Amino acid sequence: MDHFPTNWGRPRNDAFDAYGTYPIAQRPYNGPKDTFETGVQRTQQPIVTGTSVLALKYKDGIMMAADNLASYGSLARFKDVERLHSVGNNTVIGAGGDMSDFQYIQSILDSLMIEEFTAQDGHSLGPSEIHEYLSQVMYSRRSKMDPLWNSLIVGGFKDGKRFLSYVDLLGTTYSSSTLATGYGSYIAQPLLRKAVEGYEDVLTEEQAEKIITECLKVLFYRDARSLNKYQIATITAKGVHISESRSMETTWSFAEGIRGYGSQTQ
Amino acid sequence: MPDMVSLDRAGPQQRQFNPYSDNGGTILAIAGADFSVIAGDTRQSEGYNIQTRYAPKVFKLTDKAVLAVNGFAADGNMFVKRVRQRLEWYRHAHAKDMPLRAIARLIQTMLYGRRFFPYYVYNILGGIEEDGSGAVYSFDPVGSYERESCRAAGAAQSLVQPFLDNQIYFKNQTAAPGTTHPKHLPLQEVLSLVIDSFTSATERHIEASVGDGLEMYVVLARGSQLQGLENVPNVQEMTTTSDGERIFIIRRELKKD
Amino acid sequence: MSIMEYNGGSVIAMVGKDCVAIASDLRLGNQALGISSNFQKIFPVTDRIYLGLPGLATDVTTLRELFRYRVNMYTIKEERDIEPETFAHLVSSTLYERRFGPFFIEPVMAGMSKTPSGGYKPFIAATDLIGCLNFAKDFVVAGTASSKLYGVAEGLWEPDLEPEDLFETISQTMLNAVDRDAYSGWGVIVHVMTKDKVITRTLKGRMD
Repeated sequence: MDHFPTNWGRPRNDAFDAYGTYPIAQRPYNGPKDTFETGVQRTQQPIVTGTSVLALKYKDGIMMAADNLASYGSLARFKDVERLHSVGNNTVIGAGGDMSDFQYIQSILDSLMIEEFTAQDGHSLGPSEIHEYLSQVMYSRRSKMDPLWNSLIVGGFKDGKRFLSYVDLLGTTYSSSTLATGYGSYIAQPLLRKAVEGYEDVLTEEQAEKIITECLKVLFYRDARSLNKYQIATITAKGVHISESRSMETTWSFAEGIRGYGSQTQ
Repeated sequence: MPDMVSLDRAGPQQRQFNPYSDNGGTILAIAGADFSVIAGDTRQSEGYNIQTRYAPKVFKLTDKAVLAVNGFAADGNMFVKRVRQRLEWYRHAHAKDMPLRAIARLIQTMLYGRRFFPYYVYNILGGIEEDGSGAVYSFDPVGSYERESCRAAGAAQSLVQPFLDNQIYFKNQTAAPGTTHPKHLPLQEVLSLVIDSFTSATERHIEASVGDGLEMYVVLARGSQLQGLENVPNVQEMTTTSDGERIFIIRRELKKD
Repeated sequence: MSIMEYNGGSVIAMVGKDCVAIASDLRLGNQALGISSNFQKIFPVTDRIYLGLPGLATDVTTLRELFRYRVNMYTIKEERDIEPETFAHLVSSTLYERRFGPFFIEPVMAGMSKTPSGGYKPFIAATDLIGCLNFAKDFVVAGTASSKLYGVAEGLWEPDLEPEDLFETISQTMLNAVDRDAYSGWGVIVHVMTKDKVITRTLKGRMD
């Protein structure tokens, strides 16, 4: 409703317009400008997606792994995307789900770390604070019915303590000694649990890497949206280390003999 | 000619984001004469998928109030966080802990405040009332509540509640001539019933939603005896003040399959 | 609306020491509206077999008659009573005949079966509505209060109960379970079977 009578377009009336201010040269226009001005576009579905992220606790800290693929539906669209991202010196986040939402999350976290740094108060955000912050962001976006379409794993090592936790587009959080998102939660998580539960404090980095690459390999074979090019991150007392992309040897000759697995002529 | 795919036949299609999920689990609280037991399993699941074997559903609010939250875990954790913040504000304003019945009313208004976008959680509040009696308050997701002496909620509510009706309220049981049923059970008996309830629920509940671990909080009224609590294995005291109610937690294993 | 909850009703069977018990509620409803408080769902099949048929009331009648017919044919052909194990398979195959248009009934059976030495041992079984058999060693449940029956029975039942204790256990289980079920209740009937007799008792239940 336009509350300015002068905008109503009525003829002049001395009772309220004694000085002839109507029509005003630049009178305010309060009507609708753009029908869709107040409309917002919400994420209805993920578009360019990443698949599983795997993580486990081992003797010296946390190990996390994810492949370098960002799919566009069934198309392997981007094959050099980094889905592991370090935040500060003690934390790595790994993301599955929508990659544009993930990059937005990276930018939020990077600004947050800068803001915290400029405070120069002798504090720095560790993995638990980053996870808490992320879960508040994810939960508030789901409550606006405008979710960030991701499953995130936050891993870190600070003050001699390992940290490993999960948060997703619903704001659901949990932590355990092994975590896996997406297809990994069906395929890799049982393998990880069998290999890691009870051995968190004895597994060496070499053993942990063997377990996690074995799980990745199983995923490469069974998850059609995965890639044999991946990165592994470790977060230990020495800080964060995210490896260069590496490729894994795969063999497909056995598929020849399995109907429905390899390419069949008939 | 090959089959043509008709585009207009598909019609408009909309998929809506579903902001809720069910994370399984079961909670239970029983009030005694001068104590209250609040328990919950520690598994968090989604469908047949176990997300973690340890995610607490029972939270200590003050030295005399414990809140168990079951349903959608993200809402549950957020709700507990907000209740705790309101209790902290109360403590700063009044220099004392909020009484249990006031916490109950606070929870009602907070739940009803989200009447049109509810917290998908069933709450059970247990603790000690100002008069020193053990109390249990149970809520639905939009804030309806009542004080009771026993309540189960969550995935195995339908298994546990009728058992409790029978064993706590003595429903369908007639007292021997010249005697009456006790109004409240002793702590030891209540703890056995809670453990039995959870082992039964773990055994029989279809879907992977109850199991892994059990956490039982015991709140004792000011000045009451330990009532055998000192002999219970895996008991740990969580009291923060020296002259008020006392809180203990008892942890137990449940089946993991 | 689920057709399994259209008329309501629940049945449970339990094993004891040299005895079995089977119990059901007595309600017949039309969804939330109670129609009858004396609707039998448990029927004797032979002297040593009882059959409970919770589910859609019209199928209760149909199946009762169908099993009466088939058991009579068996008895005439074999010139002996049908054994509980055999009867359980008869129930299973009868229901599976209607695999793609089932009777909306989940039968529960209880009986005493002959042992090679000439004695009797307790037998219980239940199937789903298309005849998937479940031979349990402790107790079986079916009907609208099944989840409640599971919960209470799991808490109250113990092995080797004497007939009178088994009666108390099954009665308490039934009464407390149906009191939490809107579609079951309005009285309970209990049969306790030993090798030489059956004791039938009708229990008063809450009428709300």
